[in-house]
Amino acid sequence: MSRFFRRRKFCRFTAENVKEIDYKDLAVLKNYLSENGKIVPSRITGTKARYQRQLSTAIKRARLLALIPYCDSHHP
Amino acid sequence: MRSIEVRHYEIVFLVHPDQSEQVSGMIERYRTLIEAKDGKIHRLEDWGRRQLAYPIHKIHKAHYVLMNIECSQEVLDELTSAFRFNDAVIRNLVIVRDEAVTEPSPLIKSKDERDESMRRGGSDDATEGAPASDESIEDEPASDEEEATAAPSDAAAQASIAERI
Repeated sequence: MSRFFRRRKFCRFTAENVKEIDYKDLAVLKNYLSENGKIVPSRITGTKARYQRQLSTAIKRARLLALIPYCDSHHP
Repeated sequence: MRSIEVRHYEIVFLVHPDQSEQVSGMIERYRTLIEAKDGKIHRLEDWGRRQLAYPIHKIHKAHYVLMNIECSQEVLDELTSAFRFNDAVIRNLVIVRDEAVTEPSPLIKSKDERDESMRRGGSDDATEGAPASDESIEDEPASDEEEATAAPSDAAAQASIAERI
């Protein structure tokens, strides 16, 4: 009962052999953001450390340019 | 080898929406600045006016421009100081790249679709309709293709979220 089957996590970037994560590729970045705009930890997404570091800089750059929000409660 | 050291840079800057008409003039100015000192522009993209993810100085929209250039430190210093002292530039980002990047960025493709949906909604103000209209005509076929590619990735995102929970 407690043995709930969970699909194996895998690193998307390793699988696709991505050279560099682009901060302009919002469709990719959005997959690694939680609903309130936080970066999802790699222990949950299964992203390899190398790519998680790239991902975090990419997300931070996109945030600076107001392409993605810092959080869900920006003052209107 | 060249005597002056040149590097590749990727620059994005946001222009105040009220100064949107000046963007082409600004790009020309930067172009002459760069090319006067033997720099090169490898990629130049005008993303147009985009909705900001959060307001900056109580502004909700900004005009985005992306440039991939190759220049010396001296030229870059001039550019960054030009950004700093230009009130129309509300934000800018400069990053160093290893090589010249020339392929179109993912944002310029999605931009067309965004424009389309806005026009359909009819929420545009009068000033915005005029400059956007000429470019949207030629981009029409690309937009529905984009829609098709966007849909499955969206579904995948939903699935991955569901999986986590």
